Amino acid sequence: MFILEAFILATVLCGFFGIILKKNLMMKILAMDVMSTGVIGFYVLVAANTGLFTPIAAPESRGPVEYADPVPQAVILTAIVIGFSIQALMLVGVMKLSRDNPTLECREIERNNMP
Amino acid sequence: MMTLTLAWIALPLIVGFSIYLLPQLARALTLVVSVVSVVYGLWHVLNPDPIVLSLVDSFGVRLIVDQLSGFFILTNAVVTAAVICYCWQTGKNAFFYTQAIILHGSMNSIFICADLISVYVALEVIGIAAFLLITYPRTDRAVWVGLRYLFVSNTAMLFYLLGAVLVYQSSRTFAFTALSGAPREAIALIFLGLLSKGGIFVSGLWLPLTHAEAETPVSALMSGVVVKAGVFPLIRFAMMMPELAPTVRIFGVSTALLGVSFAIFAQDTKRLLAFSTVSQLGFVLAAPAAGGFYALTHGLAKAALFLTAGNLHSRDFKVLKNNPISVSRWAVLAIAGCSVMGVPLLAGFGAKTLTSEALLPWQSNLLIFATVGTAIAMAKLIFIPRASHDSDTDGKETVKQKTVSAGYWLAVGLLLGGLFLANGLYPDAYSLKNFAKPAVIISIGWLIYFFVIQRVSVSVSRVVEQFDHLIGAMSLVLTLLFWMVLT
Repeated sequence: MFILEAFILATVLCGFFGIILKKNLMMKILAMDVMSTGVIGFYVLVAANTGLFTPIAAPESRGPVEYADPVPQAVILTAIVIGFSIQALMLVGVMKLSRDNPTLECREIERNNMP
Repeated sequence: MMTLTLAWIALPLIVGFSIYLLPQLARALTLVVSVVSVVYGLWHVLNPDPIVLSLVDSFGVRLIVDQLSGFFILTNAVVTAAVICYCWQTGKNAFFYTQAIILHGSMNSIFICADLISVYVALEVIGIAAFLLITYPRTDRAVWVGLRYLFVSNTAMLFYLLGAVLVYQSSRTFAFTALSGAPREAIALIFLGLLSKGGIFVSGLWLPLTHAEAETPVSALMSGVVVKAGVFPLIRFAMMMPELAPTVRIFGVSTALLGVSFAIFAQDTKRLLAFSTVSQLGFVLAAPAAGGFYALTHGLAKAALFLTAGNLHSRDFKVLKNNPISVSRWAVLAIAGCSVMGVPLLAGFGAKTLTSEALLPWQSNLLIFATVGTAIAMAKLIFIPRASHDSDTDGKETVKQKTVSAGYWLAVGLLLGGLFLANGLYPDAYSLKNFAKPAVIISIGWLIYFFVIQRVSVSVSRVVEQFDHLIGAMSLVLTLLFWMVLT
């Protein structure tokens, strides 16, 4: 469990530093996606704390089963959808910017568009 | 009351999506929705009994509506109504009104949320709607400014989500009350998300460029209400969990000082207003108990200032100094500016008095500097030269004045009228002792303006506002927060 947590936090940090260190706007957006993947993984891990069995009520009783916690899963499903739509919106913005800044270099775009 | 609250929350979203089917009614429908919110907000301001709703069951959505929410809802409603009036004749299409009303609805829901996940969803919807409003002109610069905003806010919200799940892990619920027993790192992560989203301290330096480069009505909306989305949950935390209040208060004071020191040296009217927003948010956080009323007066005054600044012939103070502005618009700037400074007869005075009563001793000593700074910054606006009559076009060097529509006057009338009426909410402020303090502070501020600030021209570097630095500042603030909550 501890190892998994460490890996997930490493993913989040990789994403975060990618946002800062990558020069290309497209890569920055992808790095943000890596970061959000890490966050989603963390939710799944927390949900699995109590057990791994899918939390669906079965008609026949099978005795006590260790269910996964459904609440974090439900929450992260919402967050995945929101994250996905924001990603899509950003990519549309990048498409628009790429017409005048074909290299999509963040510094360049910033220099052209700052007052 | 529960049905009424739920209907009121759903109304903006339903209207927002049906606007596409009835584009002719877009403006009227949005106005109706904001009037409904005015009534709902006012009702809660006047009836302070809190309403607590817990939907579904213990894992469901929690809502709390009390006087604090009432003040924020009222701010949101009045500013939205004013912006709709302002846009009435500008030929914006249904898309703009859809976004405006969805933004209004999600702001409303954040002001009554009491669990971490509802706040998250509302904040993300606000981010998307604000992005679409900023990029409405579809120019490269608008797209870049919007993208930068969305990027910063989404990264901040990822940290927030990490914090939220840590809270859940320790207490099996997402309700705000779980924060009191939450691990320290969870609190630090949640605070980072909210501070960045609300434009507080160094993690909020995305705000000036975004507010200054957006279109006039959008910047009024952003500065008047949208920034309060990040601030409101922080105030709620400070009120509910006394152990979190010191952190909120410290950030309030440091933001007030940071914002105002940038505002004094701003060379551009809209940038000055944006930095002044940063510092006023600091005041809201510095005294959480008085935050609601302060946010109301700040929202109304700042929206009026932004709407007016966008209708002057230039944003550069040097150009404005040589080309007088019309008296009527100057009057709007002066009245709203006076309210921000806390001049009696305007609601800003009551709010300042109420805030200074709720401050701790160490805070009031530091915040005096911020108040003097506010007076200096507003003096820069108030002492813009004005022409003797409205249509001054005699000199050939005179820059062409922009004409304003009737919608502008209606919007400004609504906002300034609100500032006068809001005086009635706290009549106890009017005592002789309370008059002396703003008088002294404003005269000191104006003296400094005349003898120092007017004569020097310092241009502050914009390096800290570069995109990479904005994201980097988040990691610094996170380190600071860890250090603060651990000690």
